[in-house]
Formats: sequence, structure tokens, C-alpha cells
Amino acid sequence: MSLSLLLQSLILGLLLGGLYALLAAGLTLYFGVMRVVMIAHSAFLILAAYLAWFFTKQTGLDPLLSLFITVPLFFAAGYVMQRALLSRLRPATLTMMSVLLTFAIALVIEGGLGYLFSGTQRRIQLGYSGASLELWGARIAVVKLIAFGLAAISLLALFLLLKKTRFGQALRATIQHREAAQLLGIDTDRIAGFGFGLGLATAAVGGTALALDATIYPSLHWHWIGPLMAIIVIGGLGSIPGAAIAAMILGVTQALLQIPMGTTWAQTVFYVALFATLMFRPQGFFGGRLAQRF
Amino acid sequence: MRFTTIPTASKRSRATLAATAALALASTLAACGAAEEGGGDDEIVIGISLPLTGDFSEPGKGIQRGYEAWAEYVNANGGLLGRDVRLEMLDDQSSAERVAADYEKLINQEQVDLVVGPFSTRLVIPAAQVAQDYGYLFVEPAGAAPEVFEEGFENLFYAAPAVADDHYKLLAEHILSMPESERPKTAAYASMDDPFAQGTAYGLKDALEEGGVKTVVDEVYPPNTTDFSSIAAKVADSKADIVVGGSQYQDGVNLIVALQQLNYQPKLAAFSTAPTETEFAEAIGDKTQGIIAPTGYTTKADYPENQEFVKFYEEKHGEAPGEDEANAWTTGQVVAAAVEAVECAEPDPECQSQLIDWLRENEVDTVVGPLSWDDKGRPQSAHMIQQWVDGEIKIVLPKDQAEAEFIFPKPAW
Repeated sequence: MSLSLLLQSLILGLLLGGLYALLAAGLTLYFGVMRVVMIAHSAFLILAAYLAWFFTKQTGLDPLLSLFITVPLFFAAGYVMQRALLSRLRPATLTMMSVLLTFAIALVIEGGLGYLFSGTQRRIQLGYSGASLELWGARIAVVKLIAFGLAAISLLALFLLLKKTRFGQALRATIQHREAAQLLGIDTDRIAGFGFGLGLATAAVGGTALALDATIYPSLHWHWIGPLMAIIVIGGLGSIPGAAIAAMILGVTQALLQIPMGTTWAQTVFYVALFATLMFRPQGFFGGRLAQRF
Repeated sequence: MRFTTIPTASKRSRATLAATAALALASTLAACGAAEEGGGDDEIVIGISLPLTGDFSEPGKGIQRGYEAWAEYVNANGGLLGRDVRLEMLDDQSSAERVAADYEKLINQEQVDLVVGPFSTRLVIPAAQVAQDYGYLFVEPAGAAPEVFEEGFENLFYAAPAVADDHYKLLAEHILSMPESERPKTAAYASMDDPFAQGTAYGLKDALEEGGVKTVVDEVYPPNTTDFSSIAAKVADSKADIVVGGSQYQDGVNLIVALQQLNYQPKLAAFSTAPTETEFAEAIGDKTQGIIAPTGYTTKADYPENQEFVKFYEEKHGEAPGEDEANAWTTGQVVAAAVEAVECAEPDPECQSQLIDWLRENEVDTVVGPLSWDDKGRPQSAHMIQQWVDGEIKIVLPKDQAEAEFIFPKPAW
């Protein structure tokens, strides 16, 4: 193994970890806000990716511009989905029933994409898809760098929103103790709806970032949901910084393990880490107690 | 007895056999009173079961169009042995159990004169088993995976130029015939863990290793892999002279882009399947120059049979035929050649074994060029090699079919 390959793999791992962090952020947020397991999160990622592809195909403009449409659209869709569907589930069985409900939503999205765009595998044709920058002999692909940048900006914005704004305080209060928040005059139902919308808005950004450097097809979301679930459990359910740290570690580990072990075995790192977490620290490595996860 | 010579006949298939023997007896008794169901003197009935619904319905319908076009063409040109060809088609719903039952029905009840194969390895094997049990000739249009030829079938012929391992045969020959100074010295291979895709890349790998081209990377990835940057990093780091992908579609495209991102510039880049798809150029853009792919069929091949087929098919359907249609047509041609030569097309084992023996010994001119087979039914021809030249994919090997010069070394992508 040469030093240059090690450096190259390290860079690829960091870039991949950044993308994982962005894709997982929404998933952990839903759970934090509502104890909802959102199987359809990755289906929304693929939906956003398709919308970015369709936008570029129709207009010839850069897929990043589609964010101006998809982010508000997904935020609204998330709010409606929470208010109209998820909030109607009985609190006692919420977590379990949300799996079934969102599983159904994922199937609807997958079927809809297949119906509208067929099963043909698509890729956004970009002038800069193969372009890269050089750093000490290693290469950094421009599309991966953009995806990483989107991840960094979105996660920072999300963090500031939760920590510094009144809405963020209200959302965190809702997460920590719903009844207490209500006593303080917070409309927790609306806040939960906004929280869900926020999670889905990250899916719009994540899906667009994904579409820059991936070939997409309607059933691709099944490939993503497993690793993303593993990331949020390892990071501590509900913790965005936890998910981000877990994503970076797993991304880098996967890329480095690929050198000696090959692709097939390197993929198992997610599940090995998941088993280890459940055995030794079921609450997640970076979460702490659920109430203090921000 | 033909049955006892089947080395791989499983317990299950023996049980099926016993059951079908009983059924056969019953249906023969029943048939005594009824009119004969098979073709009379004026027509030849060919029995086919196809996956017209279910998983394989897309390619299944392609095969159906090919068979139908072929039958129409034959009938428009005087039929076979002066008799009209009639196709008896059943839908097996892409199910392996169903396809076996369908061929039982075609052979026993309908007493068809000939049978031809369905689509894909998974259905070809059970269908070929039934045909073999009754001593029928079995020419099939799809089923290139090694398993098909390892079952010990004595009646099976694959009607396409080459099995997966031989897809790159012409490319291997071409590389090894280069002068020592130009010949690539190292090669990197990345292939999907799939018998067909991996078979193509490993066929080339075996040939090149034997010819002294050193393997520096040999990566196998699971079919669900979508991120190829790490595999690309290994390939790029090895600085291999050539890169070979045993790919299907998205994996090939993603790997090519990942290699471009690392600014890896090989002298030759060959990928199976992906570069021949219509979506390929749309995905990769203008960075396709010099990419190589083997292909089983192209409308542009100038065998006279192919030109006739393309013309006839286009007149009928208003669009060019694809590989599935061509493979079905080829299957028809192969069966027809045997029938014309032996001058029989009857269900009786005597005639069927004559047809089988004739195909064993002879070469047939088809839309994919002249075909002949080894004793397991593997075609002995080779896939054409195509290369992307100025935004278009063109035949570069074999030389007598070439539309463009083979470009080596490959221009930068």
C-alpha cells in the first residue's frame, strides 16, 4: 500500500463521511422531535435527486439551482406529512406504526418515480463531473467537494438554528419535555410539524448533493436506508452532532478498510459498528441521555 | 435409453419425469379419440414458453417480437420444407416451475413439432431439462451464464456469438498481437460479483495473463455497490496500462466517472454492457472517447442475413431491432437450417436426434455471423468489439466488419 493511496483514500473517506452526515441529519432529527422512525427519508433523498435531474434536463441549468424549488417544497411536504399523517398515530405505538406508515410512503415514492421516469438509470450530465483539484498528489473531485460544502453549510445552519433562534429553543424544548414546553406556551404540534419539515428540507439538499455524483434509479433508496439508520444509532438517536461525527468516522473507516479488504467486506463496517454500539452502548456513542442531545 | 444418460438429473426431476410419464400416457390415451393437435402436413408448429409477464417481461417481449418476425419472414418466403410455420406461445410469468410445466404441455399435449427456448438462464435450464427428457432439440436465445453449459445437456445450443467468458476474445487476440514495445504490460480489473459480468472480465484476464500482461488490481464488488471512488483510487494508484470493467450499467458508469475524477489516463478502457446502452452518452457526456465494449449484436454488422433481418424488421415495426429480437431471430435461423438440412420436423425422437447431430457438426450463417457449437452447446464465435469514436459507438473488431480503426492508445478522457 502506497502513501499516496492512503492519502487519496483518506480524502475520499472524509468527503464520503460528509455526504453521509448530510443524508443522516434529517433522519436523526425526526426521531429526536417525534420518536418517529422515518423509513421514507432515503426515498425522499432519491425523489430530490430525480427532481434535480429533471430540472437540469428540462432547463439546462445547474442542478444546484433546483434547491430553490425543492427545499421549500420539501419543507412544506414535511409539515403536511407530520400534521396530516404522523400526528394521528397513537402515541403508545407511535415508533412502531411510524415504521409501517413511512415504509408505505417510501413504496409510493418509489412506484411514482418508476411510473413517471421509468426504471432507466439516470445521471445528471455535468461539464465538471470528472473535474478535480490536486492536493499533494491526491485528487479531490469538484462534485464531491460541492457535496461536502453543501453538507457543511446545511449542518452548520441547522446547528445554529437549533441553538440560537427562538424557534430552535422551542424545538429543543419540545424534544426534551413536551408537556413542560406546552405549559410555557409553546404550540408543540406546530413546532413538531416544522421540525419534520426541517428534516425533509435536509433531504432535499442531501438528494441534490447525491445526484451530482451518482447514477440514480427508483429503488436506490433501499441501498441507503440501512447505512443511514446505522449512523444515527451509533451517533445516538436524535443527536445531529452525534450523527455527523459517526458519519465521518464510518466514512473514513470504510474508505480505508477498502484498501486491504475490498468492497464487499468494507461495507460491513456499518453493521459491525451497529452491533458493537447495541452491545456496549445502546444509547449511542455521542448522544448521552436523550434529553440532553443538543 | 436417453434418460439414463443424464448425469445431473436430480431426484426432483426424476419425480417430475415419473409424473409426466403418467401424464403422457393419459394424454396419449385421450388423444386417441381426438383429432391430432400437432401440425398436420401443411404446417410446422413450434412450441415456445416466454416470460411475457413478471420479472423478465421486458426482454421476454423482445424475444417474442423476434420470434414472430422470424416466423412471418419464413412464411413470406415459402415456409420450411414447404410447410407454414406456426408459433404456439405460452406465458410462463417468469417462473421456473411454470416454464417446465409449459414445455411439458407443449410437447405432450400439443405435440408440437419443434421447441425453442425462453429468455434467461433461470428459465432456460428447467426448460432445457424437459426438452432433453423427451429427446427434443433445444436451441435457446438467452442463457449465457456458465451454469447452462455445466448441466450436461446434450440437446442444447445457445444461439448467440459467445458465452460470457468469450465476450472479449477478439480484444484479447488484438492486444496480444501488438508488437512487444506497444503491448500493455499491466492491467487492472474491476468486476461485479455476478456470473455474467464477472465472466466477461475474467475471460479477458485469463487470456491476457497467459499472454504475459500482469494483473495489478483485481477488485470484485457486490451488485449493490454505488460508490466507486475507492475502487477507482486503487486502480489509479496502480497506474495500470489498461483497465477492464466487468460491469452492467450503473456500476460501469460510476466507475468511469470516478476514474476520470482521479485523472487516471489508461491506454485502453474496456467495460461490458454499460457503453452500449443508449443512456451511456447522456450520462458521461463528451468524455466517452476511446471507451471499448463487446457487443453480441449490432444492426450495423454487414452479414447479408443481418441486413435482410434489419430491413424486414424495420418495415414491420418502424424501428430497428435490439439484441433480444436478434437473438430470437438467430434461434429461428439455427433451427431452420437444421430442419432444411435433415429434411424433417417431427416430434419423434429419431428426427429430433438427427437435428441435434446435424447442429453438432455444422456451421450456420446467422444475423450474428456464422455460428458453430462445442459438445456442451457453447457457441464458438466471438463478440464484436465496439469503441466510442467521436461521440458514436462503432465496430472496430473483427477487421472485416470494422467501421472505424481501433484507437490505441486511448485519447485522454
